[in-house]
Amino acid sequence: MPDNTGTAIMQEYDMVVIGSGPAGATTALYAAKNGLRVLLVDKKQELGAPIQCSGAVSHNALEQAGVYPSPEFIQEAIYGFAIYNAAGEKKVIDYRKIKPGEYGSGEGCKPLGYVVDRRRFDRYLATQAERAGVTIWLKTEASGYRVLNNGSCEVDLCKFNEHITVKAKVVVGADGVQSQVGKWAGIKTHIKLSELASCLQFVVDGVATDGLLEIVTGHEWAPGGYAWVFPKGHGYAEIGLGITKTMCTQNAQVYLDHFLKNSFFKERFRNCRIIEIQGGGVPLAAPLKTQYADNLILVGDAARHVNSITGGGIHTALSSGKIAGEFLSALILSGKSATESNLKGYHDNWLKAMGNNMWKLYRVKRKIFDTADVIERDEQLYATMSNYFSPESEYKKI
Amino acid sequence: MKTKQPVVFEIGWNACIKCGACVAVCPQEAGFTTDFDTIAVNKPCDIACMFCEAVCPVSTITHTMFVPAVSGKA
Repeated sequence: MPDNTGTAIMQEYDMVVIGSGPAGATTALYAAKNGLRVLLVDKKQELGAPIQCSGAVSHNALEQAGVYPSPEFIQEAIYGFAIYNAAGEKKVIDYRKIKPGEYGSGEGCKPLGYVVDRRRFDRYLATQAERAGVTIWLKTEASGYRVLNNGSCEVDLCKFNEHITVKAKVVVGADGVQSQVGKWAGIKTHIKLSELASCLQFVVDGVATDGLLEIVTGHEWAPGGYAWVFPKGHGYAEIGLGITKTMCTQNAQVYLDHFLKNSFFKERFRNCRIIEIQGGGVPLAAPLKTQYADNLILVGDAARHVNSITGGGIHTALSSGKIAGEFLSALILSGKSATESNLKGYHDNWLKAMGNNMWKLYRVKRKIFDTADVIERDEQLYATMSNYFSPESEYKKI
Repeated sequence: MKTKQPVVFEIGWNACIKCGACVAVCPQEAGFTTDFDTIAVNKPCDIACMFCEAVCPVSTITHTMFVPAVSGKA
């Protein structure tokens, strides 16, 4: 804004968060709650869109991050899983039957998880951040940052075609799987072709579901990934898959068509009508070894905070956002600068809370997909998925 | 298919679902993008690894060989 001499005064915040998805909005929320002045920018006009996600998230994940499971964004409650092998044999893990007093739709019971509408979910999280005092600018793209010699930095933004530079103590890159923010600081963020699942899903009408996330394994249907049928609320379902392109020659669209027409579900899918088409790249990759630089950290998909067995990224985004928001507010309020060495604490906290387990999952995933023999690999994936979602799983909380 | 000559990518916008997978897998520097969350189409790519074409869920990225302007030294 111009002062009375006509020169622009640079706006100043403690923190600028780039990208208002689950990771960015949660980082902003926890930083503002703890007293930081936060600017949250997103280049889109509508958060969450175009959807690149199936929307599955556990009740536990929302609870841990302090997100109330609101009907505003929940499309359907989930009570368990059905894991299929390539031939259609299945293992059902229905928590309504395993723990009937705890999980279910009855009084005193809770769902195991939800399928959320990412448009509404991302908007809800941004609203919570805004209500905690975060300033939100939509249609605002960030194009670079400069580290200043006084311990702070400047971020170049473009908001509705207006170029604005803001001053900040720290920048949070929450700009998703196609992150550019990390590249500004020289962090190697691009994902190997062998570790980026190419995903496509259809939201369909005319396919019945029963409160379970159905996961179909097998090289025949989804090489280097899996296919899924998830309940989507109001009688809709989503049918999708992710594949690894170094393990096959056709694209995701060809495999999804094959799954719809030729799989053991072909009768079930016969009358399905496609209502929406969504897709994306899901990093089934190791988390970034370095997630911070001077005045900058990365969270969520931008830091590869994705469960490389399930491809799930909402829980990991919410958790890393909370860790980042709490760490950065404590650091900045203590008067310390967000230097690279001071920001290492964020990475350490994250490793302790979840990162070490994510590394373990990554190694499990690698072991499966590095198995050359297809039959053996299919068996391993089916067994791993079946164990992963069982009540005895050591990774249940990731 | 890997090629060592620089290429210029083209996006079939009709099929593009704006998913950003091509950008995620791209080893180029920051900013090798369009305003629609895809890899750049208005400048040559000298890496030409073709990972973007491979990962595209709907196979809507193609390329032509980059031909430098005749008068320039390129």
